[in-house]
Amino acid sequence: MGLLKGLKDSISRATDRLFSDEEPKRIGIYGPPNAGKTTLANRIARDWTGDAVGTESHIPHETRRARRKENVEIERNGKTVTIDIVDTPGVTTKVDYEEFTDEMEKDDAVRRSREATEGVAEAMHWLREDVDGVIYVLDSAEDPITQVNTMLIGIIESRDLPVLIFANKIDLDDSSIKRIEDAFPQHQTVPLSAKEGDNMDEVYDNIAEYFG
Amino acid sequence: MPHQCTNCDRRFPDGSKEMLSGCPDCGGNKFQFAPATSEASDDASSGEATPATESKQPADATATADQDPASASATSGQAPDREWPETARRPAEKDGRLDGSFADESPAEAGTDAMADDFEWVNGEEDDAQATARSDVVSPDELPRTATDTEAVSSRTEGATTDASDGTRETDARDRPDDGRVVSEPETDQPSIDQLREELNQQFESIKIVNPGQYELNLMELYDREEHIVSLQEDGRYVINVPESWHDS
Repeated sequence: MGLLKGLKDSISRATDRLFSDEEPKRIGIYGPPNAGKTTLANRIARDWTGDAVGTESHIPHETRRARRKENVEIERNGKTVTIDIVDTPGVTTKVDYEEFTDEMEKDDAVRRSREATEGVAEAMHWLREDVDGVIYVLDSAEDPITQVNTMLIGIIESRDLPVLIFANKIDLDDSSIKRIEDAFPQHQTVPLSAKEGDNMDEVYDNIAEYFG
Repeated sequence: MPHQCTNCDRRFPDGSKEMLSGCPDCGGNKFQFAPATSEASDDASSGEATPATESKQPADATATADQDPASASATSGQAPDREWPETARRPAEKDGRLDGSFADESPAEAGTDAMADDFEWVNGEEDDAQATARSDVVSPDELPRTATDTEAVSSRTEGATTDASDGTRETDARDRPDDGRVVSEPETDQPSIDQLREELNQQFESIKIVNPGQYELNLMELYDREEHIVSLQEDGRYVINVPESWHDS
């Protein structure tokens, strides 16, 4: 893309937003711990802004505070959709420091556990107050029918929030997209691997369509 | 009396509905929780309403009252249900003093203000530790010179001043025999962590502390709560953020 065209597009986007009453929609990335929420948030943010959102880790509850990446402009089919991405801590009904003791000292594990609990409380608060739409991320190699998933999707539905279910980690051998589609047939399921960048075009098409 | 506004330090009894619409005095919407029976080992300078800081208040009051007999009955008799006194620091003033500058205020005024602030009770409720400590009057022999006493209250409560005699005041405050005794008193009835945990669980149906570092969460309750839990501690304290909409309504 030439410099002039880039500049023109940038001015055009700024003008569009200037005359638009709509604030960017806040899209919360929700899901259980270790589903790949931060990896997805980083993938989206890097693809469209060049920056990352947060640190990824194989240890659950790496994200213990909601993080927001504002004004992520996603271009699809000549249109630009601007959203704020909110990467939230993994939601769970139990947090146990013993999950982390293989990776760190007990004191650190206990602290991580407490912060993770606060993070879940914060994530639930954001769901109530601060999100306009939800990307619900699931590990497609895991059974999707859990108390947490059922309850959270029920809450999201009760609020009439637009929701996309992302079947993440399709690069894993145990991945099953159908298992997720069968569990939540009322919602659009999008397969992807945020880590490998697989099927991201379909991901962005759906984000633009649902949240644009 | 487990709730305290983190902005102006106003305290609220357990179950008070006043705080539900934000602090009536300063409009602050962050409160911290300090169980009436919580342990006294916390640093008093943290601003949390621990029994240590509470139990110091009667000693301060007694000391100051002893200095000024005319105000003695007023201090001990009216403190529990006193409204914001004329001499007390207003929240706005307090905010402006966060840099620790009190150079424009005489030591006596500072001491009176600090005392009044500590005794700003809302519904006339006073916990047991407070009542016991209040009735346990120190003898005049135990008190330092009255001229420095008010200054000691000032320096201990406010921490930092820009007065030239600041160092002397700090020493006076630390050397007071009653000061050290009062601080250690609450340890005698220090509750166990299990009791505190149980107390927290009663407060929070949404988060249950099974053991330190082990939690069970009621997602529906967390979602239904309008206030936001921003900090959770093993010793039973918590900080919540009251929504602005509560304050506005």
